[in-house]
Amino acid sequence: MKEKLHELKLKYQGKKMAPAFNAIHTFLYSPNETTHSGGHVRAVDDLKRTMNTVIIALLPCLLFGIFNAGYQHYSAVNGFPADFSILEHFITWDNFWLGAITVLPLVVVSYGVGLAIEFVFAVIKGHEVEEGYLVTGMLVPLIIPVDTPLWMLAVAVAFGVVIGKEVFGGTGMNILNPALTIRAFLFFAYPTWMSGDKVWVHEGVARAGTADAISGETILGYLAQGKSEAMYAKYDLAEMFYGFIPGSVGETSTFLILLGGLFLIFTKIASWRIMLSAVIGSLAMGLIFNWVVDAGIIPEYSKFYGLMQFDFWKHLIVGGLAFGIVYMATDPVTGSQTNKGKWIYGFFIGFISVMIRVFNPGYPEGVFLAILLMNVFAPTIDHYVVQGNVRRRMKRLKNATILPKPSDGKAEALKVETV
Amino acid sequence: MLEHLELFFKSIFIDNMVFAVFLGMCSYLAVSKKVATAVGLGAAVIFVLAVTVPLNWLLDQYLLRDGALVWLGPEYADYNLSFLSFIMFIATIATMVQLVEIIVEKFSPSLYNSLGIFLPLIAVNCAILGGSLFMQAREIPSLGLALNYGISSGIGWFLAIVAIAAIREKIRYSNVPPPLRGLGITFIITGLMGIGFQSFGGMLTGDNDPPEGTEPTTVEKIEEKKMIEEELQADDKAVSYNPLIKE
Repeated sequence: MKEKLHELKLKYQGKKMAPAFNAIHTFLYSPNETTHSGGHVRAVDDLKRTMNTVIIALLPCLLFGIFNAGYQHYSAVNGFPADFSILEHFITWDNFWLGAITVLPLVVVSYGVGLAIEFVFAVIKGHEVEEGYLVTGMLVPLIIPVDTPLWMLAVAVAFGVVIGKEVFGGTGMNILNPALTIRAFLFFAYPTWMSGDKVWVHEGVARAGTADAISGETILGYLAQGKSEAMYAKYDLAEMFYGFIPGSVGETSTFLILLGGLFLIFTKIASWRIMLSAVIGSLAMGLIFNWVVDAGIIPEYSKFYGLMQFDFWKHLIVGGLAFGIVYMATDPVTGSQTNKGKWIYGFFIGFISVMIRVFNPGYPEGVFLAILLMNVFAPTIDHYVVQGNVRRRMKRLKNATILPKPSDGKAEALKVETV
Repeated sequence: MLEHLELFFKSIFIDNMVFAVFLGMCSYLAVSKKVATAVGLGAAVIFVLAVTVPLNWLLDQYLLRDGALVWLGPEYADYNLSFLSFIMFIATIATMVQLVEIIVEKFSPSLYNSLGIFLPLIAVNCAILGGSLFMQAREIPSLGLALNYGISSGIGWFLAIVAIAAIREKIRYSNVPPPLRGLGITFIITGLMGIGFQSFGGMLTGDNDPPEGTEPTTVEKIEEKKMIEEELQADDKAVSYNPLIKE
């Protein structure tokens, strides 16, 4: 099989379909090409390996999302179990089956449309198919509501891949994270399918207005309406942390996201600087809001009160903040490239996310917009960090003097002079 | 104090001159190839806005608007010279831009040369006239707020042009398809940046103590408005046909 493919590859060489063929070929087997000249270091961690590592880190979230889709649907229909146990109520075949038939089509459409466009572009432009879409295609189904109509997803993916990435020249050249561009397109083009209390549960929209209507409001939705008592009566902290709450498919389980984040840091795929500074940024903004409430500046009837009095550290375990910080903000292409820039970039992501949550009545969740905004400013941050480094080194160069050798005795004299 | 802070934040981010109302696009597109030049032009725009908006506020308050001439005597109370506001505002702006040009030429000849024709063209940069006209239309109540508005909308424009200049420096090595190189990709980037700036859209809207029950409708209305606006922005073709861009 392998030899036959190699033969076929030689046959197709120079033809129009060659990039498409090569993509499938290298996906299955390592290519038989060798470099033509000079010595080269050969390493296994190429782009494909990097992408696969991220996908491995995402798989637990996907699996959890499948079970959670089923769990949320059956709980909304039959009522929440009084004494919740994971094995009895969560990991069941019913949940898995329902989740699989709702979530897996999203994955299939996301990959199918996205990769089809990538193949077409590669054939037209005559370069190899790039692996960039592998991670995007996995991220997209995880950050949208479970009942998103498939045609909307297809339209959004087409927009995100073409306008968000291919017009810039493909993988590694884009300025905005393609997955978030897709999410933003969906959010602004079809807002009724992206927010509210009906979209987070399977069949929620279809049953709306009938006698069997079901709904599942997210934690942030409850808080934005000032119903924090109702929210605490329904969900406790452990449920928020482990993720048995309504939300986008893969974003609910902070626990699994944490594991995935540690895995990415351990394999050095994602930047721990961005993650840490984003956490610091969101905590800082949360603390400011808590202080505002404690100082009595904001009256209790204010529409911001519900979200402002929410404890600062709990912002991290509800909504998409954790998912955004771990998998989206750390995108090496669209984030800051310099180390100092990463601190600034991450800090503002956390800071602005919590700010949008509280201040913007139009958006119950602002993480994706905060990351997009910082994507816009990442090149500016990098530019000034690099300029700062250049300036500091020029200064050092100007001040540098060639020190005399210690044996000359001049060094002591110099020391005395300077001290 | 709080109103100053609110206006400052609002005019930098929410009503950003470039991404919310798409004003001042020609110099924004033309002078954004290098960050250093963009910073120079942005600073010039901040300066001109900071001077012209308060000046025009005074003109508007004591000369142009309905009944503004009453300080001359009670018989002037009926005069309404607001039909003159365009020409008066532009006259102020042109004078100020001449001043800036002289200053820049004297102190930074290199910046003067790199800005080229776009420095005198600030006079017809619609962000500048837009600043004065918005000041008039929004009925900014005091001189201090007018100064604040001028400076902060200038800073918003500054941020926009510096950000796009940095992005254009970054994508210089990208393999952009040939038909899109240059202005085409810049339009697309501007549209995408507009999406990023939507994070502030709708923030701080409405009063702070709504009666119970009306809140959801306002939220829905905001979303509807956002949707319409965003469709315009997300679709980059729509951006390039947007009549607001023509200066």
